[in-house]
Amino acid sequence: MDVALKIWRYDPESGERVLRDYEVEAPEWACLLDVLDIIKDTRDGTLSYRKSCRMMICGSCGMRMDGRAVLACKERMKPIVDRGHVPVISAMGNMPVLKDLVVDMQPFWTKVRRMKPWVETGYEEIPEKEFLVSPEEMAPIQKEALCIMCGCCVSECNSMESDPEFFGPAALAKGFRFVGDPRDQETVERLESYNDEHGIWDCTRCYFCNERCPKGVDPRDAIAKLGAESIRVGIDRDMGAKHAKWFVHSAKTTGWLRETELVPKTQGVVSALKEVKFALNLFKHGKVPLVPHVADEVQEARALYEVVKSQGRDGAAGIVQAERALARLDHPVEARVEGEEGP
Amino acid sequence: MKVAYYKGCLASLSAKELDTSTQALAPKLGIELVGLKSVTCCGAGDIHEAEPDYYLHLNARILAYAEATGCDTLMTICNVCTLNLRQANHALQNDDALRVRVAENLERVGAPPYSGNVEVKHLLWLIAAGDGFEQLKQVAHKGLKGLKVAPFYGCQILRPSKLLGFEDPDRPSSLEAIIEACGGEAIDYPAKVKCCGFPIIQAREETALGELVQPIRQSIEAGADAMVTPCPLCHLSLDAWQAKLEAQTGESFKMPILHLSQLVGVAAGLEESELKFKRHVVPVDGVLEKVEAP
Repeated sequence: MDVALKIWRYDPESGERVLRDYEVEAPEWACLLDVLDIIKDTRDGTLSYRKSCRMMICGSCGMRMDGRAVLACKERMKPIVDRGHVPVISAMGNMPVLKDLVVDMQPFWTKVRRMKPWVETGYEEIPEKEFLVSPEEMAPIQKEALCIMCGCCVSECNSMESDPEFFGPAALAKGFRFVGDPRDQETVERLESYNDEHGIWDCTRCYFCNERCPKGVDPRDAIAKLGAESIRVGIDRDMGAKHAKWFVHSAKTTGWLRETELVPKTQGVVSALKEVKFALNLFKHGKVPLVPHVADEVQEARALYEVVKSQGRDGAAGIVQAERALARLDHPVEARVEGEEGP
Repeated sequence: MKVAYYKGCLASLSAKELDTSTQALAPKLGIELVGLKSVTCCGAGDIHEAEPDYYLHLNARILAYAEATGCDTLMTICNVCTLNLRQANHALQNDDALRVRVAENLERVGAPPYSGNVEVKHLLWLIAAGDGFEQLKQVAHKGLKGLKVAPFYGCQILRPSKLLGFEDPDRPSSLEAIIEACGGEAIDYPAKVKCCGFPIIQAREETALGELVQPIRQSIEAGADAMVTPCPLCHLSLDAWQAKLEAQTGESFKMPILHLSQLVGVAAGLEESELKFKRHVVPVDGVLEKVEAP
């Protein structure tokens, strides 16, 4: 088949960034990575991209196709060719471009390393034989353990675009992989560290990470699990945690969000007072409701809280229990709309 | 069609204009709304993160009360409610053991049990496809006189697409189709599918404003007269926090932000008492002048 591509080339020496057209003959089974190899072998040996395993295991070939971060070895070209579409290939986002499709992953690795991505066993002397864990004990971190650290989730992370120091979805998903590991002895220390200013509560819940992850890790869900575990063990100093807890309190007391009290409950009274001018302007437009809205039969919501709390599915377990059903989901969007530049 | 109507928190509180315009518009589109009095907050992303098992039960309770009305559709008017309810619904519909446990807990507190027969759909989806879209073309007789409208989708009506799945999450077109059907001109800009920053606007204001500025700035550069969004949380950040953004950047935006039900409502000739534009922080006068012009 004839495959046409456009590639954003970047030459660090000249600083030139240019969109080049390519057309090559490729076998019908070819994926994007195969096509890049053909271009490099037959058209332009200077084209730069990362690759290694070619089978979605090594995580090297993350790049953007039409603005979406993908693994080049996972994207089959035939359906795209059949639609007559010419995709635009570019480097991943949120990381500096070194050359063509190669980004500097150093900031990514620094953040992953900050998570202490190893099991802290709590012993120094090497025991005589290994410790065994059952599959059931490891099941809660099964999804996070699938991460191949390709960076596709980070590429489109909206919080990281605004705050480059945000630990980001890949590092935090890695963090949960160890928080949820039954062998790890530093759960609380980890959670304390992940609750830093640029940690768990910096996530804006845009869900781009879940959308892009080629391995089904669902990093946003992992971040929610870290938030849930933090609150379970009483680490709730962050404004994000206080914000989340106020929603729980609202549901238990009036059923609906107690919106007007949310700012002082999140930021504290002193910080909230600094917002008086802003709040008065909102008040003028009816945006500061003074009387809480109370749901009928609110006693049911209160009783439900007590019932749920007595059943021992606190923290991340409350999210993990729903994953068996979610894992059965196929991608329901059948046809993607093709366009040159994505978000 | 008859649907159970879930307002969510904001439409009962700071965004009452979303509720009044939805209630006025729905019958014109052939949608009969059945109110739900006993339901609570869906918990936003917050209860899902703080107490996930309680989140699942609160949403199951909402679904149960919707099912008890006999409607097979629960209509939402907020992105966050849509994702929360669809996520919980999917888990309950596809895991019998989980559904049985949750149903037993609901019965213990006196709520109806949930058997999994409700589908959750956002108002946008009911208007953008099928009969709703045909009705829309009839109803939008007043038109928008070529008003340039920048659609802002927000996150949780698009992603994760495996739970939402109405349209391509990267290149959606439902809002554009509605704008055009109402006689407006849909403005395209890259940040229309990105985050407005609202979930962290109180805990991480600087990060949130760094997100919020993108769609506002880009829609102005693309020549938009107004923006429209299907989510009251996006509306609140785009409208109410715009002043903070102006103070922070030193730029003047003055971009009017309309709820989806208001935009269609203007084209359908709803009254100010139903649209309640006075409740907006950024004035909408310019939009109305353009639409009212002879």
